[in-house]
Amino acid sequence: MSRVQLLDASSAPLTARRHYAAGDPGPLVAALATVPELLEVALPFLSTVLGASALDVRTKEIVIVRTSALLRCGYCVDGHSVVALDAGLTLAEVGALRGEGPIEWDVEGEDDLVAWIDAVAGGRGPVDSDLAARLAGCFAEHEIVELTLLIGATMMLNRFCTALELPTAQVVADRLASVGLR
Amino acid sequence: MSAVDQAVADGVLPGRVWLYSNYHCNLTCSYCLTESGPGVQRRELSPARMVEVAEQAADLGFTDLGLTGGEPFLLPTMPETLARLGAVLPTVALTNGTLFTGRRLAAAEVLAGARVALQISLDSAEPDDNDRARGPENFAKVVAAVPALVERGITVRIATTQSEDEPADMARLCALHRDLGVPDSDHVVRPIIARGRAEAAGLGVEVRPEDLPAELTVTADGAFWSPFGPTVRGGRLDTDLLLTRTTDPLQVPAQTLLGLIEGRPPGADSTLNIR
Ligand SMILES: C[S@@+](CC[C@H](N)C(=O)[O-])C[C@H]1O[C@@H](n2cnc3c(N)ncnc32)[C@H](O)[C@@H]1O
Ligand code: SF4
Repeated sequence: MSRVQLLDASSAPLTARRHYAAGDPGPLVAALATVPELLEVALPFLSTVLGASALDVRTKEIVIVRTSALLRCGYCVDGHSVVALDAGLTLAEVGALRGEGPIEWDVEGEDDLVAWIDAVAGGRGPVDSDLAARLAGCFAEHEIVELTLLIGATMMLNRFCTALELPTAQVVADRLASVGLR
Repeated sequence: MSAVDQAVADGVLPGRVWLYSNYHCNLTCSYCLTESGPGVQRRELSPARMVEVAEQAADLGFTDLGLTGGEPFLLPTMPETLARLGAVLPTVALTNGTLFTGRRLAAAEVLAGARVALQISLDSAEPDDNDRARGPENFAKVVAAVPALVERGITVRIATTQSEDEPADMARLCALHRDLGVPDSDHVVRPIIARGRAEAAGLGVEVRPEDLPAELTVTADGAFWSPFGPTVRGGRLDTDLLLTRTTDPLQVPAQTLLGLIEGRPPGADSTLNIR
């Protein structure tokens, strides 16, 4: 049970209805729909930051799963573990991002990416200059801007979904159980 | 001129803005769309807030105000508040008319000559039929209040909420309101809408948004499409006709309402005569 009412299609405000046209839009939309003017701006923002963009999907899912694991957001960790597996990350990689075991990252720069996420999402205050320099050796500046905003947006979602106790969908729970991630 | 001003001036956006002053009531009518009654959550707008909304409405080019509830006259300062609202824009205030005796009747005298009409609910010229839905003694109280208000120079209108199954004898009802001093032009008739208590009881007509007047409606919980929007079911406010939670500045929900109206397919107007 969520801490706030999740609006179904029959109680969705007029401007939110289009998000229900293809069926249940999920608990995040259903919670935000209670304040339709927030949904109007939050959804395009979140889909731009979290959706398909110049950063490849593998990098984005590393950011989202790792950040969510650091913030201990069960809802986002579960949902994005499934997306990460679909994006081609291995079970061992997803497990490592979830903090369930160590791993050697094969792809160049991914160890620095994970260290960057840990510093930004897990740390407080300034981020280490050596680490920033190592990241700049692997990613273009516009990519650093994008992935750093992605960390921040994910943290925002993590706290929102955790505090309001948004429920993990059954299909997600079943899929994770089937691969031993739950 | 803003898009909202222009739309009001062109008649694209209805000119009236509604205020829900409160949700509690001294009655518990069987079909009440807001499930109002004595013990319910009050959801009040303060008098200052109501005047502020009125002023912003006037600045945006809206032409009229409506005030409803709950029973607005349970709020002790309602007559003065209405006089202030009427000074900003012509106002119609909906009331059950049962509270205009003694002190409250005297207090209403500030409305004589003001740009304020009191629209009192009366469903039938047959006391038993009227009182079945609106409660014991309702008919007697209303037929006493109407002439008392009219005598004091207050404009009174009559609103009849009709059951589809048992339509009132309109000829008798109209003869009665004329006798009480209310002309035909000030008599409004509407069907029961299947929202709130009516829906729970299986009463009234089902409505789509386009069946309801697209009148901007401000409550303590946000702004809605039509005064038939911010209804209550099982103690919970309905959100299907919610526009925005933001009501200040009024431009925010007005703009949202306008966007929805402009996106509506042509010829979508309703014929249900809901007002
Ligand atoms: C909700 S009341 C508030 C003002 C005041 N208490 C009164 O009864 O007039 C406003 C108007 O809505 C009408 N009404 C209540 N429930 C309705 C419903 N389900 N469908 C249509 N009109 C309704 C009332 O009869 C009244 O004329
Ligand atoms: S219709 Fe008016 S008088 Fe009757 S319960 Fe509702 S608010 Fe009160």
